[in-house]
This record gives sequence, C-alpha cells and structure tokens, in this order.
Amino acid sequence: MSSYILLAPILLPVLSGAGMLLFPFWNARARNIFVEAVVVVNTILTLAVLRLAPRETLYLFSLSEKLPLTLRIDGLTVFFAAIVALLWPLATLYAFEYMRHEERVNTFLAYYTITYGVTLGVAFAGNVFSMYLFYETLTMVTLPLVMHTMAPEAKRATRKYLYYMIGGTAFAFIAMVFYVLYAGGTEFTYGGTLDLDRIAHHDNVVYLIYLMGFFGFGVKAAVFPFHSWLPDASVAPTPVTALLHAVAVVKAGVFAIIRFTYYCVGPSLLAGSWAQHTALLFAIATVVFASTMGVREPHFKRRLAYSTVSNLSYILLGVMTLTPLGLLAGLAHLLFHAVMKISGFFCVGAVMHQTGREYVYDLDGLGRRMPLTFGAFLISALSLTGIPLFSGFVSKWLIARSLFAQGGILGQAGVLALLYSALMTAVYLLTVAVRAFFPDREADTASLASYTDPSWQMLLPLGVFSVVTVLFGVCAGPVLSALEGIAQGLV
Amino acid sequence: MDISLALPRLCGMGLSFRVDGFRLLFACLTTYMWLMTSLFTPEYMAHARKKGRYWFFLLATYLATMGVFLSDDLYTTFVFFELMSLASYVCVIHDEKPATMRAGGVYLAVAVIGGLVTLMGIFLLYHLTGSLSFASLRASCADLLAGGGREELKWLYIAGLCVLFGFGAKAGMFPLHIWLPMAHPVAPAPASALLSGIITKSGIFGLLVLAADVFAGDGAWGLLIAGLGTATMLLGGVLAIFSVDIKRTLACSSMSQLGMIILGVGMQDLLGEHNALAVRGTILHMVNHANLKLVLFMAAGVIVMNLHKLDLNEIRGYGRKKPLLKAVFLTGALGIGGIPLFNGYVSKTLLHESIVEYVELLHQGAGSLPGFLTPHQAAALFQGIEWLFLLTGGMTVAYMTKLFVCVFVERNADPALQREYDRKGRYCSPLTGTVLCLAALVLPVLGCLPGLTLDRLADTAQTFLHGHSPAHPVHYFSLVNLKGGLISVAIGAAIYLLIVRRGLMARREDGARVYADRWPKKLDLLTLVYEPVLLRALPALCGGACRLLDLLSDGVITFVAGTVFPAVFGFFCRVLDFVTDGCVLLLRRTTHRQRRPAPVVPDGYRFSYYAGTCLNAAARLLDRTVRRGRPSGRDYVLLLAERQSLYKDTRRLIRASASFSLLMMGLGLAAVVLYLLVLQ
Repeated sequence: MSSYILLAPILLPVLSGAGMLLFPFWNARARNIFVEAVVVVNTILTLAVLRLAPRETLYLFSLSEKLPLTLRIDGLTVFFAAIVALLWPLATLYAFEYMRHEERVNTFLAYYTITYGVTLGVAFAGNVFSMYLFYETLTMVTLPLVMHTMAPEAKRATRKYLYYMIGGTAFAFIAMVFYVLYAGGTEFTYGGTLDLDRIAHHDNVVYLIYLMGFFGFGVKAAVFPFHSWLPDASVAPTPVTALLHAVAVVKAGVFAIIRFTYYCVGPSLLAGSWAQHTALLFAIATVVFASTMGVREPHFKRRLAYSTVSNLSYILLGVMTLTPLGLLAGLAHLLFHAVMKISGFFCVGAVMHQTGREYVYDLDGLGRRMPLTFGAFLISALSLTGIPLFSGFVSKWLIARSLFAQGGILGQAGVLALLYSALMTAVYLLTVAVRAFFPDREADTASLASYTDPSWQMLLPLGVFSVVTVLFGVCAGPVLSALEGIAQGLV
Repeated sequence: MDISLALPRLCGMGLSFRVDGFRLLFACLTTYMWLMTSLFTPEYMAHARKKGRYWFFLLATYLATMGVFLSDDLYTTFVFFELMSLASYVCVIHDEKPATMRAGGVYLAVAVIGGLVTLMGIFLLYHLTGSLSFASLRASCADLLAGGGREELKWLYIAGLCVLFGFGAKAGMFPLHIWLPMAHPVAPAPASALLSGIITKSGIFGLLVLAADVFAGDGAWGLLIAGLGTATMLLGGVLAIFSVDIKRTLACSSMSQLGMIILGVGMQDLLGEHNALAVRGTILHMVNHANLKLVLFMAAGVIVMNLHKLDLNEIRGYGRKKPLLKAVFLTGALGIGGIPLFNGYVSKTLLHESIVEYVELLHQGAGSLPGFLTPHQAAALFQGIEWLFLLTGGMTVAYMTKLFVCVFVERNADPALQREYDRKGRYCSPLTGTVLCLAALVLPVLGCLPGLTLDRLADTAQTFLHGHSPAHPVHYFSLVNLKGGLISVAIGAAIYLLIVRRGLMARREDGARVYADRWPKKLDLLTLVYEPVLLRALPALCGGACRLLDLLSDGVITFVAGTVFPAVFGFFCRVLDFVTDGCVLLLRRTTHRQRRPAPVVPDGYRFSYYAGTCLNAAARLLDRTVRRGRPSGRDYVLLLAERQSLYKDTRRLIRASASFSLLMMGLGLAAVVLYLLVLQ
C-alpha cells in the first residue's frame, strides 16, 4: 500500500464537504444519506489506513527547507484518529435528527464533514508544522458551525472564539518557530528532538518558549485563563458542542500539547522545571475553577461546558506529570471523557430538542417522561463524577496515582483538586439527574406530560455511548494495556 | 471454611471476594434479614405505587450488601458500598413526599460525599502500601506503624481518616450521623429495618477493616474511634429519649447502639493483644442489633401500616388489646435494653467487660495507648467511658420503656380514638404475624443459650478481626457480669421516672398528659452547621471567588486585547505615522515652500498698497482676537487706493483752475511785500 493512502481519509470528507457547498442538495433525505455514507466510508477507510498503512513518512511538499508538510502514523495518531473516526458517524446520525427543523442544514453538514477531515489531519500530521497547519484550519472550518444560528449571541461567541483561537495560535507559532530553529529534526519523535548542545545554558528561554507553546495550544484545551470561549461557544447547535467542543476541537488542543511536550520538546528536558510546575499549577487552577463555576451555572449546556473545561485539565494534569504513567492516565481520560461527555451533551441536546428547556431548574421530573435519555445522562454523570463501575473512575484513579507519584505540594494539591472536583461534579451533574427522576415539587409535572424520548437516531448514539462507558468501567484492562504502549512511546 | 475468588481484570482495579467465618455469618445474616423483610413487605406495601421499582432496587441493595460483606480488598468493598448507597436511596425515598425527598437528599449527599472522600482515602492507602487486599494491607500497615517515617505515618492517618469518613457516615458515627434520624423514619418500615439492621453494619465493616488491618493495635486510632463511638452512643440515646416519633426513636436508638459497636471497634485497637472481649462483643452486638432492629422496625411497621401515623401521642394505646404485637415488641425492647436472658445483654456485657479489662490492663501498665496520655489519665478516662456506657444502657432502657408504655400500656388521650383502637379486628396477616413471632423468638433463644449460640458464632467469626479466644469462657450470668446489666436497668428506671415522666410530658389544655417534643428545633447539626456551611457559605465564597476570577480573566483579556493593546500600540503607530507626515509637512512649510508670484503694485499707488496691506494684516489680527465673530470685511488696500486717486484728482483739478493761479499770484505778492518790509 502506497503511503499516499494517508491522504485519503483527510481529503474524502474535505472534498465531499466542499462539493456540498458548491452544489447544495435540495432533498434533505438524499443529503443525509450522502453525508452519512461519506462519514461511514471515511471511518472504515480511516480504521483500515490506521491498521494497514505503512508506518513511514509521507512527504508532500515543503514551504522551506525546515517546513515540510508530512503525514505519518504512530501510536498517538492511531489513538486520536480512532477516537475521532468512531465518534463521528454516531454524532452525524444525531445531527440529522437534531438539525431537522433548522435552516441552512446543507451548509452546516458540509462544514461538519470538512471538520472531520481536518481533525484527522491534526492526528495524521508528521511534524509540528503540519500539525500547526491543520490546527489552524480546524479553527477556520469550525467558525461557521459555531455561528450557525446567526443569533446575536452566536455571532458574539464566534468573534470571541476567533479571537481566542487566533491569539492562541500566535503564541503557539512563536514556540513552533523557536522549536523548528533549534530542533535536530522536526519529525515527531517520542522524547523530543531539541538539539541539546545548541540550547545548553539557555534553560530559562527554553522553558519560557515551552510555556508559550503550552498556553498557545492550551487555548483550545481551555486552560484557565483562556477558557471562557468554551462556555460561550455552547450557543452552537448541540452536535457541534458535543462532538467539537467536547472531543474534536478541544481534544485537538490537548493532542497538540501532548505532541509538543512529548514529541517535540521532550519530557526529560522539562521534568522538574518551573515550566512544568507552572503548567501543573494552571491545570489545577482550571480544575478547581471550572468545577466551581459548573455548580453556579444554571444553563444546562454551559454547565456541561464547564465540566468539559475541568475534565480537559484533568487530562493535562496527567500529561504534565511528564511520566509514562501520567501520559497513560491522560490518554485514558481523553478517551473515556470523549465518550461520556459526548453522551452527556447528546442528552442535553435531546432535552432541548424535545422540550426546548435549557435551564437545570426546569428539568425536575423530566426523567419520568424521558427515561432513556435521562438514564443515559445518569450514567454519564456517575462516570464523570468518578464512581467505580464507570469508566471515569478508572482514568481518574490513574491520574491521581500519577500525581501522587509526582509528589511535592503540586502533586498533593492536584489530588485534592481531583477530590474537590469530584464532589462538585456530584453536585452539578448528579443532582440534575436525581431531580429529574425524583422531583422536589410534585405540582408542575403535569406540564411535562406531552414530552417523550426522542427518535432512534438520537437514542442509538446515546445507547452506544452509555454501554461503552460502562464497558470501559467494568473492563478497562485491554484498553489500558493498549494505551500503555503508546504512553511509553513503544508503538 | 475459606473460599476466595479474584477477578483481577474487572472494574479497573480488579475485584476479589472471600468467604470465611465472619463473612459467612454476615452473608447469612443479610440473607435472613432480607428474607424476613421480604415476607413482610407485600402486606406493608399493599397500597403503594411502583412496587416493581421498589423490589428491583431492594434486590440491587441486597446484591451490593452481599458484595460488601464478601469483599476481600478495600476496593471491592468500596465498589459495592457505593452501589449499595445509590440503590438503597431509591428504596428510602419510595413514597416521594416532600419530607421524604429532603431526608433522601441528605442521605444521598452524605453517601456521595462520604463515598468520594473514602475513595480518596483508599487511593492514599493504595499509594502508601501498593495493595488493597486485607491481608497485604495488614502486613504493610504493620510495617509502616512500626517503622514508618513521620511523613508516611501522617499520610497513613490522613488516609485512615478519609476512609473513616465514608464508612463512619454510613455507620451513623458522630458527627456524620445527620442522615440517620432523618432517613429511617421516612423509609418504608421493611427498608428501615434493613437500613438500620444491616446497611449501617456495612459501614461498621469498613471500620473493622481499618481497625483490624490498617491500624491494628494502634492506640491513637483506637482512642479516636472509641471517643467517636462514645459521643455517638450518648447523642443517640439522648435524641431517642427526646423523640416523640416511634420510628425516629428507633432510628436514634440505632445510632446509640452503633455508637456502642464503634466503641467496641476502638477498644479492639486499644486492647491490642488482649482484644478477645472487644472483638467478640463487637461482632455479637452487630448480630444482635440487626436481629433486634428487625423485630422492632417490623413491629413499628405493623402500627404504621394500620394507622399511617408515627407520632407517639396519636398512636398511644394502639397496642393495648393486641397481645401478639405487644409480646413481640416487648421481646425486642427487652433485648435492646440489655435485660439478662435476652440477646442484647450478652453482647453489651462483653463490650462492658472489654472496657473494664482495658482499665485493668492500664493499671498493670499493659495495653496500647496513645503517646500523649499517661496510663493513669487513660485509666481515669476509660473509667468515665465505662460509666457513660452504663448510662447509655440506662438510656436504652428508658426510651424503650417510654415506647412500650406509650403504645402498649397507656390509654390514648382521646377516648374515642382509644375505643377504635381497642376494637377487635385483624391488624396483620397471619404471614406477617408468623414472621414477627419467628424473628422475635430468635432473641430469647440467643440470650438464654449464649454458650451454644452466640459464643460459637463469635468463635467462627473472630479470625477475620484477628481476635484471640479469651483465656477463659465468659460466665454471662455470674454476679459480676449481671451487676453491669442491673446498674443499667436502675439508671434506666431513674431516667424514665425522673426525666421522661416529669420533664418530657406536658399537660394539654383539656388536662390530659401528652408527650411533648422538648428538643430545641434549632439544635440540629444539619440546619445549624452543615447546611449553612455547605449550601450557603461555601458556594457563596468559592462561587463568588470564581465568578470574580472569571470576570477578571475575561475582562482582563478583553481589556488588554480590545483596549490597552490597540490604545498603546495605536498611539505609538500614530506617533510614528505622524513623524513621516510631520517631516514632509515641515519641509513643505519651510525649505520646500512653494513661492507665490510677487504682487504687481500699480505705479503711483505704492503707498496705499503697503499701508493697506499693513492695515489689512492688523484688521485680520483684530478679527481673530478682539472682533471675533464680527469681522470688518474691509479691504484697506482698496480703501486707501480710492482715497489716493480722489486726492490725486482733486490736486490736479485745483492746480489747473484760475483761482488757484490768482491765489498763487496773491501769495507771491504778499511774499514780496513781506520781504521788502522785513528785509529793508
């Protein structure tokens, strides 16, 4: 198999989406079938490529001597691309039903599909420049999705989204340029490729540059104080919030940080430095901050967005311990959180779609009318809280272990932050689920009588995600042993 | 018997189970409790809605409780413990009334918060010891306690406290008991029996693991647990005496009895090598209390099932003409009151003896105790605790007497109601009656034949707690041991007569004496401390701080990016921009100024031109300053030129005229005449 096959999973959705923009469908049914077919075919293609394609670098072209555009598959690529590929078809299925009554669905689905290819591009990138390119493109192709409703607050959120992203990538760009100039080779290599002789005695500069990269890519990962675009961006339609702002976009930020930390600068260079401590400190601050804000937030979707902010920083907490155990923990949480949070958002979306209710105090007793939706939400909430038997527990346990192995005040503070956050998660998610099933006030349940669970297109993804959440929680062994190879850089 | 099962790949950490004497005993006890309550439930719940849900979660709770008692590592214990908490919640809130929902909310909150804190503690233990199975915990914690550094010991205690938090909360331990007096009364009676009888024991199970495996023989830990146990049993007893609600009284009684059990758990560690009495007392009181509460809550359930009332003044006199119910309740009351020949007496005696033994050991200089106490102080302290124990026993007698006298002896204050109560009629089905009798029959059997029954149970179960068989069998009915029981009864009689009859009864307007709720409403840990702190102060503080941070971060970013950055850089850029422009302008004004063509001054008008220009300039200056707003609008050049041409014309005309010539001639003549006259 020629290595040019690596281009296929990226180009197929991008070209299909572009085609839809140029030649819009007039028939909703045909359009849906086309989109779902493209997405499913691309998923199969991606998985096949990940499994079969040769593990060699595909060199496309070069902007300058040191800036070649290359694609390559390694362990981390397989991990991230597989998550994206497996979640996309289900999210698309959900989007059909959710967007049924919206306008400009053709444009929406076109960009939605393009985003699929671009996200895979981030995963497949073979060096930091290629990743940066796809990363920047990802911002651009998701803009129309955030702005979709065209409401004033959507436009405002989009502006904010754009400013934050551009500002972030500006910092990341500085870090990238520095790295490219001082690296031995720009190909992603586990352990980093900085030329140690050339940067000798300039430790503090390296750390500063690293932090620029961390916070630059950290804007997508919603690190405090660059988090506030994420709750605001929840004005986007739910399929966007769920898939992009819980998985694809934000996890691309985390993915980029992992790449930059472990594959460019190198964990051994950073371990024990003030750069690492600063990054850990901000991750801890984000966890504490976002969990508290989650409790205060009455808007259901924004509340979950805050939960995403704190969970992204869980991942960063694990990653920034700079140990294989920490990376394993981070990757595990990346995977588990993707599944359980997308499930949570889909429940929110189902509620909004079926009832139009957006605030948590309006949901009392709704669990009786929409048992399947809220059952899925309960599982998601329990898992996010970190109750054993659900997947969230497994990864949180690993993160806590890696933090404790890290030791020091920051390690202990991190574990405390995890505990605090778990308690707050219980408050801001479990209470919603409990009150949906067991309302405090019996009186106004009559107004709920007409609401029902949504159609199969919405329930199928929810069911799959719930089952997977429990499955990972009960039997995480195989997944963890697969991730262990990636975390140690063996794959 | 020793069977174990390990499922290492499951649930992240792996699950492991074991069946040995202790676990078998409690597995059987759990099953027995579920069997009895399940036989009672159909009649109790006959008119309830959603029975399917109730049964489902009841069975889920059963499964989880079995999981707790059969677990062989702390992680497995915890997994099933959480499952049990969540499943039992649905049983507790079955009727979904507002009061129930509130109590259920507290129950769930305590369970979830306790669970997460416990998980944290388990995690710390795992980090410290590398394993969570009971056997390896015991080994590695013994090493740590014997030779661990200060830092490690500190973390071990922190871990222990965290684990204690969740399990202690479930065991109704002070100050985490708040859920217990709330949740028991509102739950359906069969669920109350299970909650009180066996689910609280799963919390004790965690405490036992901590005491026997993690802090085996550690004096400080023992003292802490014993202290908390003492506080729990006293508070429970006092609350029960003050209560005027039959199920709440029983719930507080549970708390009090659990306090005794917790005290026993603490004594195990304090006694160290000599812990036989404490271990056996603890196990047997767990068994006995489960049986007692089964009987008492089911008996109370029969009353509630018929009357749907819990207030003592309303159900007063209900049992007067119901000998079966009366006998059953009396058996339970005697059992829990620690009356000889009933089962409670046996375990209470053992617990009492363990305290006495510890005091003796202290006098001999043996027994482990924390470093900050001298043996003498400790001995005095535990003599005090011994008396408090007897006092609690007395309180038990007092509040059970209060319940029994109220329901089964006295008449209701309302004679009509009493007549209705006394009417013959079926108040429970034969099945329920049989279940009640069987459950009650167990109590005197255990109490009369302790050597055949309870001692054997203790023999098989004590290996789990690493208890050592006592040097000599305990003679329960010897005078020394009877003395403790009798003192308790005496105290109980005194409390009942002096406090309950005098202090806690009030005379109603119509003269009837009724039970009064004298407990100050405000004196409630939940509404006094926990709710204000957790629901108001903490969210307000943290939330406010975070909101501020959010605004600040957002505001700072917006301000910096939107205002400061453009302003500062814009200013610089404008300055820079102006430098170029300014240079060009300066050059244009100075060296590179375009010359204007020189004005053509008409001949003959030179003066009026220059003077007019000067006047014009002066007028412009005045226009701009003094005459601002009302310019003169004159052109002085023109004005002067006009005047000049007029002057020229006039001069020319005059010069050309005859009169001018005559005038000139005259002037000439005059000059000549003047010359001649003057000069000559």
